[in-house]
Order: sequence, then C-alpha cells, then structure tokens
Amino acid sequence: MSLPKRIIKETERLVADPAPGIAAQPHDDNLRYFDVTIEGPDGSPFQRGIFKLELFLPEEYPMAPPKVRFLTKIYHPNIDKLGRICLDILKDKWSPALQIRTVLLSIQALLSAPNPDDPLATDVAKHYKENEKDAQRVSQEWTQKYANLD
Amino acid sequence: MQIPSSPPPGPFFASSEDEGDDVYMAGVESEVPHSSLPTTPRTSSSRSSPPHRLFLEDSDDDVNDICTSESPSVRRPIVVDDVLEIDIDSAATHAKAGPSKPFKKSSSPLDAKQRSNSGPPLKKRRLSPQDTHITTNSFPPTYLGEVLITNAWSNVSGKGYVKPNESIQIQRDEVAAPKPGPSKQAKSVNKKTGDGKKQLSLATMLKAQPTNNFKKKKVDTIVRLVNSRGFEFGRLPTECSWWISKLLELGVVQIRGTMSDCPEKLTTGVSLIVTLHFYIVASAFTPLSTSNSDELPKLTFNEGAETNEETSLRERKSAVVKLFEVIGLKPQAGANFKGKSSDGKIHEEALKRMAQHPTKKVKEIVGDGEEIEVEEAEELSKNDIDTIYKRAQHNDRTMSEMEPADTFNLTLRGYQKQALSWMHSLESGKMNAREAWSMHPLWSEYSFPHEPCMNDDIIDLTADEKLFYFNPYSGELSLDFPKAERNCRGGILADVGMGKTIMLSALIQTSFASDTDKGEEQNSKGKAKQIKLNNAFRIIPKGKQQPHKPPAATLIIAPTSLLSQWSEELQRSSKPGTVDVLVWHGQNRLDIEAMIESDGEDDKTIKVVITSYGVLASEHAKSAKSPIFEINWLRIVLDEAHACKSRTSKTAKAVYALAGRRRWAVTGTPIVNRLEDLYSLLKFLGFKPWSEFSYFRSFITLPFLARDPKAIEIVQVILESILLRREKNMTDSEGKKIVELPPKEITVETLEFTALERKIYDSIYHTAKRNFDQLEAKGLVGKNYTHILAMLMRLRRAVLHPKLVLTEKDGRALSPGGDGNVDVNDLIKRFVGDDTNSGEKSNTFAETFMANLTGDDIAECPICFSEPEAPVLIPGCMHQLYVFLSSSTPCSLMDDVLLSCKDCIVSHIGICEERGQEPQCPTCSQGALKVGWFRNASASNFLTAVQSSDLVEIIRKKTDPDATLNSPASESGLTFRRNDFQSSTKLNALIKSLCKLRDQDPCFRAVVFSQFTSFLDLIQVALERERFDQYRFDGTMDVKKKSAAINEFKSFSRKGKVLVVSLKAGGVGLNLTAANHVFMMDCWWNAATENQAIDRVHRIGQEKTVYVTHFIVANTIESRILQIQKRKTAIVNEAFRGSKSDPESIQNLKIMFGDD
Repeated sequence: MSLPKRIIKETERLVADPAPGIAAQPHDDNLRYFDVTIEGPDGSPFQRGIFKLELFLPEEYPMAPPKVRFLTKIYHPNIDKLGRICLDILKDKWSPALQIRTVLLSIQALLSAPNPDDPLATDVAKHYKENEKDAQRVSQEWTQKYANLD
Repeated sequence: MQIPSSPPPGPFFASSEDEGDDVYMAGVESEVPHSSLPTTPRTSSSRSSPPHRLFLEDSDDDVNDICTSESPSVRRPIVVDDVLEIDIDSAATHAKAGPSKPFKKSSSPLDAKQRSNSGPPLKKRRLSPQDTHITTNSFPPTYLGEVLITNAWSNVSGKGYVKPNESIQIQRDEVAAPKPGPSKQAKSVNKKTGDGKKQLSLATMLKAQPTNNFKKKKVDTIVRLVNSRGFEFGRLPTECSWWISKLLELGVVQIRGTMSDCPEKLTTGVSLIVTLHFYIVASAFTPLSTSNSDELPKLTFNEGAETNEETSLRERKSAVVKLFEVIGLKPQAGANFKGKSSDGKIHEEALKRMAQHPTKKVKEIVGDGEEIEVEEAEELSKNDIDTIYKRAQHNDRTMSEMEPADTFNLTLRGYQKQALSWMHSLESGKMNAREAWSMHPLWSEYSFPHEPCMNDDIIDLTADEKLFYFNPYSGELSLDFPKAERNCRGGILADVGMGKTIMLSALIQTSFASDTDKGEEQNSKGKAKQIKLNNAFRIIPKGKQQPHKPPAATLIIAPTSLLSQWSEELQRSSKPGTVDVLVWHGQNRLDIEAMIESDGEDDKTIKVVITSYGVLASEHAKSAKSPIFEINWLRIVLDEAHACKSRTSKTAKAVYALAGRRRWAVTGTPIVNRLEDLYSLLKFLGFKPWSEFSYFRSFITLPFLARDPKAIEIVQVILESILLRREKNMTDSEGKKIVELPPKEITVETLEFTALERKIYDSIYHTAKRNFDQLEAKGLVGKNYTHILAMLMRLRRAVLHPKLVLTEKDGRALSPGGDGNVDVNDLIKRFVGDDTNSGEKSNTFAETFMANLTGDDIAECPICFSEPEAPVLIPGCMHQLYVFLSSSTPCSLMDDVLLSCKDCIVSHIGICEERGQEPQCPTCSQGALKVGWFRNASASNFLTAVQSSDLVEIIRKKTDPDATLNSPASESGLTFRRNDFQSSTKLNALIKSLCKLRDQDPCFRAVVFSQFTSFLDLIQVALERERFDQYRFDGTMDVKKKSAAINEFKSFSRKGKVLVVSLKAGGVGLNLTAANHVFMMDCWWNAATENQAIDRVHRIGQEKTVYVTHFIVANTIESRILQIQKRKTAIVNEAFRGSKSDPESIQNLKIMFGDD
C-alpha cells in the first residue's frame, strides 16, 4: 500500500519545519506510525517536561482522525492512565483539513488549558475542580518524576 | 486370420439403426449402376474383357459347364499365376505381355479361347491414370489381398462336395433388380429361393431386421460357397458375409476362394476353413452416381432418417473400409495416411478431443446476463474452430500476389494482393492459387499389393507400384488420380481485421466480367452452356457488342449498419467515376435494372448494388418477383455472411434464391458455433457436393455427432479449398508480420473508490457473497446460476457508478438539467445578498475573489495537499469570507477555504453524513479551533451545513493573459457551476484523462466503450459538463443516426471529439481508425471481446500509436474478472456458458466470491 501524497507531504513538512516544542518522527518500517515528543508548555504544571506520545495514521486518514496516545505518565484531567486523550478533534470534531501538526499543537494547548468539565480521568478532574493548586502540584511532581529526561 | 464379427454400428451414422440397412440397400439397388453387373463374379470370369462382355459371358455360361470342364486340382495355382502375370504385365513392357502367356494355365476353356481371340490378352495398363474410361475398361481384376475365414459352415451332408485345397466359388444370390439379358444363373438362384428365404430368417435373426414389404427386394446377406461343379455346400458366417455380400452386389470385387481345410465328409453345420482372395474389378472404379438432385431431400421434415442414397453410400463405404481393414491394406498417402511427425499426432489428438466434445444442453449467458439462449449439442469451442481453420491456413504464406486494376485508388498490402490473387483465380476457375496440394484431400492413395507367389519365387521388383485411390468418406474407388476439383466460383473470405472490404473492392474492380469469361468458358464444363449464353450478351471490350448489355454488376449484401461504410469504401478505393455504387435500401428504392443497364457502349463503369439482408428477405417474401432475383449478377458478395447461417431462415432462403455467377461469403466467423453454420455458406456458394444437405449431413453433421474425428477432417478439407483466413498476427514467408500496425499501448489504471462508493459497493458485495455462500453450502449454485449472475451484474454496475445500482431514495437525485452553469454575478449577488447596502464591499470582494481564483499560485487543497484539480467553493464560507474581507482579515485564509478538491470535500461530506453529523467546512472548523473551539464546539455557529450539491465548482480554463481582472467573469476564463452531478471514481478518472488529452492534443479523437448503456448516459452527462464534443453509438439507434454519429465523429475538426460506444453494438464491424485513444470503462468476461472492440481503432488504416486505457477499481469484482481472464484465456469464452455440471463455471464463480 503506497502512502498517500498527503502523508508524505505532511511528514516532510513536520521534519523540515517543526512546530516549536514538538517533534514527530515516523518509524522506518511503518511510515504511518510516529514517535512524538511534546514539551510541556511554559507556564503550565507540565513545564520542562518532555512527553512521549505515539501517533498512528489509520487507513482512512485524513478522512478519519489520527490515533494519538501519551506514552509518558501524566496527571491531567483529559488524559487517562493509559495515555488516552479526550480531545474533540480527535473524535467527532475531526476535520480532514486538520493535520498532524495541528493535532499536536492542540494537544500541547490542552496541556496549558486542562478542561475538567469534560474529563476523562475523573479523579484527576475532581482534584482539579476541588483544589486546582494541589492538583497542579501533583501534575508538576509527575512531570518531574516521569517526564524529566535530565 | 480371424474376422471381426458383425457389422460395426455404422460409424458415420450414429443415429441410424441396423435394421434398416438391408432394406434400403435393396431398394436403392436399381439406382446404382453396378447392380446390373454380375453379382456373382466367379473365378472363370474374363479378366481382359470389358465389363459388359464379362457380364454376357458370365450369363451365357452354364454353371455346370464350367464345373465339369475344370479340374479342381489345377485351379488354385492358376489364380496365383494370373495375378502374378498381371503384376508383371502391368508393370513392364508391352513385350512381356506375349511371353507371359505360357506361364498361364487357362482357368477354363472358354477363358482361354477368348484370350487367344483377343490377341495379347492384357493390354498394358496405362501408367498415367488420367482418363477414367480407358483405364476402367481395360482394367483387369487385380489382387488386393486375402483373408482366412475359419468359421464358414456347411449346409449339406455327405462326401465329395469339396476337398481341401480345392478352388471354390463364392456366390451371392442375384438381386431381383431388373437385368438385361437372360440369365441361366437365375435358374440356379430360383432353385435355392426357398432355401434362401429360410436362411434369411436364420441369418438375420439376431439383427432383427424388419422385412420391408414396400420394397420387394432381397434383404439377406447370404454368401454361398459353391464347389467347382456348381453345388452349394456351405455359407460364409454372417460376421463377414454382411460386407462380402455388399462388395459382391456392388461389383467391387471378385472373390476367388480356396478351401483350406474341411472334413472329408461334410455334415450340416460343420466348420469349414476357407481362404478368400479378393480381386478388385473394373466396375469398382465406375464413378458413383450420387444422383444429386439440386433440391433438398423431400424428407426435410425428418432429417434424422437416411435417404436411400445415403444408405447406399454408407454401405458401400463401410464394406470397402471393412475389406481394407481385414486384408490389412493401408493407404500410402492422402486422407487416412497417418503421418509420423509429432505435429500430425498432436493435430490428430486435437481432432479426437474435438470429436469427443461432450454433447450437452448449453445455456449461454450473453451480455448483461439478461439474454439466455439454450443451444443444443453440436457446439464448438473456439479452440475447436481454430483447429478447423488451421489446415486452411497452412499454405497461405506462399500464395502469389496480384496487382489490382488501374482504377483502384489505394495501395494494397502484400497479403491483400495475395487475397486478390486467390479470389481472382477462384473466380476465373484457374485454381492454382494454392499449389501445395493436388490430390483431392478426401482421397487416399493405395498401392496394389503383390500377390504371394505359390509356384515360383519370382517377384518382379522392377515392377512399378500400381496405385489406386480410395475415398474413405464416400467409399468411391478410382484408378485415376483424384484431382482436387472445384465447381463453384467464389469462396469464403474469412480474414480477421485485414481490410476485407478493400480486398473485395479490389476484386470488383480487377476481375470484372470481360477479362475472365474466356477462362470461365474453357474451364467449366457444367456451366458451359449458360456461360455461352451469357457471353453472347456480355460486354466485350473490343467492339463486338450486342445491342443489350447484360448485367455485369456486383451485388453486395451487408448488415444495415455497414451499408454506408461499404459505399464509402468503394468510392474511396476507386478512381472517381469508375465505380457506380447504388445503395438499395430504405423507402424509395430505385430501379435496379435501370441502374445496372449500361448507359452506352463506352460505359465501362463498374456497377455495384449494395443492399441489406433485411431488404433482401422482404423482397423475397413479396409475391411479385423482385428484380433483384431476376438479375443474373456477375458476383454476389455476402458481407458478415454468418447473418444467414441458419439455412431455414428467411434471410438464408432469400440469399439462396439469388442468381449469380460468382459468389463470395465474407465473414470473420464462417463457423459461429456449430458445423452446420458452414453448410449455409456452402449452399450459397454452390460448392458441390457439400451444398447438398443430405451429403453434408451424412458426411459431416452425423459423424460429428457420433464423435468421429473424420467429420472435422472433412470440414478442414472443404475449407482448405474455398476459405481464406488470415489473422493479424500471422507472419509472411519472411517471418514478418503480414500486417504492420502502429503499436498499441495498453494501460490498466487502477483506481480507488471514494469512501462512500466503497461503502455502497461493499454492502452489495457482502449481500451477494452471503447469498452465494449459502447456495454453495447447499450445493445449489448450479441451479441458481442466473440469480448469481444477476448479483454479479449488480456488482459490476456498482463499480461504475453507485447510481447504476441505487434507487432514487438512497442515491442523490441526478438532475442533469442543463450543464449546471452558474452565473458568477448571480453567485456573488447571492453571497452578498444580505448586505444590500454595501455595493462597494461587494465589488471589493468580487475583485479579490477573482484575483485569487485567477492567480497563478493556486493554493493546495487542505485535504489532499495537492493542487486542486477541481476546485470548489463552499457557499457558506464565502459569506463568511466576505466578513473576513470587510474586516481586513488576512485573505491567506481565503484560499484555504475557497479551494478544495471536489473529490476531497465530497468524500468528507459523505463521511460526515455517514456519521450523522452536519457536514462542515473542514477549514472553517480549524478557524474555530484557534479560538479555543475544543472548549465549546458549538461556538462555530456561523457554519452552515454544506450539501455537496450546493458546492460550486470552478472551471479554470486556459487563462487568457490579456483578460483583465475587472472584466466579467466569463472573460476571465472562469465559469462556475453547481455541483449537482454525482460523479464516480471511474467517471472522474475518465474525465481527468480526457482533459489531459485535450490539453496535449486539442483535436484528439477518443472512443469510450462500456457495456452498459445506462453508464453511457452518465458518461455523456459528465462529458457535457466538461464541454466535450461527443457522439454516441449504441444498438438502439437507427441506421441513419448511427452513421451520422460516426461520420461526424470522423469529420475533421479542430476540437477534440469523444465517441461513446456500447460494447455490444460497436464491438464489431465499425471502423474507427480516426481515433487513437480508447477508454475501456468496464471489463468483459472475455478478453477477446474487449480486444475486438479495441481493434475497431487498432486496425488497418490506423497510423498513430493507439493508447488504450482500462479503468479498474481496486479490490472489486473487476480485479477478479481480470483474474479469470488470465487464468485460462483460451477457454475464457466458455467460462460463463455454464451448465449445472460444469465445474469450470462454478470454479469461476468461486473466484468471484472468494476471499483473496
């Protein structure tokens, strides 16, 4: 199965002109499978963390959204223990005009702006709602613990 | 030697019954000339006397005289001597004949006397066996061979009848046929009548022969053994008497018998061992009168029954064949000669296999699976038919060439000149075009064996081999070299895609009446009278002209659709004014007679009348005789002659009723699928004797049904003499292809469905597969064949366009009203409609809008990232866009919103609909995203749902660089139209290719084939939208429309043209060499059908490379059809002709529904 022109172009652009704080590299043996790293955005509890994700472009892409998952443990109301992400553009709000880059930027933005009203990890969401400061502290700890490559 | 028992069940007449044999036999006897010859040839008969003398002598002889005058003990050696002498005689010089006499002991006083009276007893046999009469008359009974019969039996008791080594006579009772002259022998026959009758019932008990009282003829096969004194003492056993009696009755052989062993005292029923020596006699070589009436047998309603004629022929044949088999005589050359080359063997095997072709009811599913015709047995597969043609094609490379007449305006190719030469020589009767063979192919050559010597061991090795000829198919014997003979003027031109029309045009111009009639006169005996009469009225070039010129015109009968093509080709290939063509068709048919009457003495134009089979048949049905049947045409040409393959059809009867001196049948398929197809052509050609139905049936149809390979051989032999068939891939004597065509490039373009199409297709496929699996599990596939084919048909349509399978409720209505053009001003007005006060804004919008659209740097499609091939506008966003514009939002965004591949956006919308979501502009959602849309998705309330038919397409023409931006949109090279046409993967691929083609070659010509006319409709709509000049050709159109479509398509123009053709209607006959691009929209089960369609374009006259594009959608039934095509190309035309038991068909179905 040959790779659609769009995926090739997207990959080229991702490599040539990476978005700040984001890196995505396809596997040699499967060009639809990407290793992704996202830096935690400044000003967020995830600052200075390097988060690993995996991204897979399904057969129907771009008509269907890519599948993305955090590999690094993260304390976030919209990301569960398994790394699954609750983000509407990865589900029903997907548009074929979106790209890998925009998806990853959106995820990065999600780190800056957790949305506990639409939670995936309910306990974390509850924590965020009841005591945001404390929750952010835990997030920071986790970032230190799991997302610190130093 | 043990003789095989009982007559074989007539290999040539599977359906005939044994019981009828003798009855018919006897009944026919009076018609067969030999029956008047002595049927009891005896050893005493004179060898040197002509048959009638032989007969007289014989009948004058008193049996008793002979008996008493002969000493039995001397008798046997005599026989040997006689023959030996004959061998020497015939072999050597005249001088030898005299001296040979002393060696001879006269067999009877009478014989000796006669011999001395007649001087040299044996004339030297003519070595050149050219003249039947002489050789036959002077032909002595000649040794053929001998056979030992161990189970003859005695029917008397007592001593002294016969001793071992005594000569005996082998007698057959006289037949009650009227015979000239008094016959004393008749007495002896009469004496035994009672006996015979009784014997009859005994001998024939097992055969259960019904006595036919209608013919009071003998029905027995008794062969009596008579001793030298004339007393019958025994009989031959029935297992050999059936054929020996026939041979004797028909005057084919003399038999000289020797008692090899017997008990001293005979008792009734005791076994006798007899040696029979067979001598072939002169009368055997008398030509058979087949009393061929030109009419069909009156029994046409009962074609299964043999006529008397057929019976007689068959009996003689089988008796002679049996004789040769028993005495072990093998042919040296000719029809039954078994070649040693492996080639021959393979060939033979092929023949055998063919003969074993199972006879079964065959269901044929043609085309859309809607036509199902049930054909009976006799079918031939394509391979079989190829085998049949092979022989006729054998020597074609080396045929001579001939230049056409001066009036011929084109240049013929080599092989066309060969065809001209061949046709010309067939017409003029100088049948030497194929010199490779000269012996009549039905005959085989035998040499007379040497009779084993008893007395001396002298065998004259210097003796020439004596030859004779036997026709194993008819039972005829001849001493003359049987030359291949032709008795009709004309033949079958069965070239495939070689320019048959042109060849015939050359023939018409080259071989017109005057210059060949002399030849005709000389060469034809049978027709001499008629031709002389005709000659009297014929145009004779140098002066000797009669007041009335007779018609020297050619009549061409062709399918209606090809009439105009014939007319045009004839005109094109001749110098102006030399050929006068009349198309006799339609309401107002002109007076043919007036037309073909020549205008004056100097009128040398060649007259050609062209008409259709339909007209001919209707003229034939009229009560008043139509002039077309009154005229004695110089030449009649049947184009696509298989149109009258059924001899009982009205068309065929009308064709037979035509009078013409030269006849041609032109067809690529002389045998469509059964051997009898050929009969009709032979009948038209008057190719005797095969034009006689009984003959054809006896020797071809019935044997074929009985799976006798000879039937095929005969057909090959017939075709060899009258059929010319070359194919494009044949090579000439130098190994070059005989037709050099420009190359043909075939591309298979594999396409991918859009998601929506895939979904529709898959759901149909899974239903069908489930259905099939269930049937297969129950073993009902065979029974539901039609149903399954219908499912397959649906799948094949689904591949082309979902609309072809969806009903209105699930498919979006197709509204082909107009070409869907949208006035850009309306469009703009519509988008700015809310903002009625801001005229300036609207202008700004329009300018920027146009600037963006006409700009060279076209943005990429946000979905597939390529330059949009079919840009579309999304109306809702355009409104939004206006807002952006007015608020100075960077318009870089606009490109993204505006331009999107139609395919991408449509499939996006399709997916949205599938998910039950409101389709949204993909890019606008992105805009919403930037403002934190994921928090509140419903914030993007400015989006309107986009229906794909609301999209507006932008058609970008080659932009005229001078066009100013402010000028009206139409001048800026852009038009807009509603996207109200639901396209499909295949259609898009076609349009894309055509557009590319139009860019490369503005005056291109392309032909698009599909087998579904409903798909042709859609193609036309799509072409209309893209503004292609397009023409259509399908079976529903009448002649005028069809030819108008073709002509307009061919006519010169600077614009590109597309012809959409239904595969079935346009797959054959059409000449579309004006085009050099072919698009095959779907695939046919049979690659050959596709190739034939491609050959409409890739054929003689094509000067450019032909590009064929085959559109296939990946992972659909189409790839499986290709799989089947590849799997067994050779038998693919049988692939779906299945019957229940046909494993091949079911196998093919399994491929269709298999899991890859």
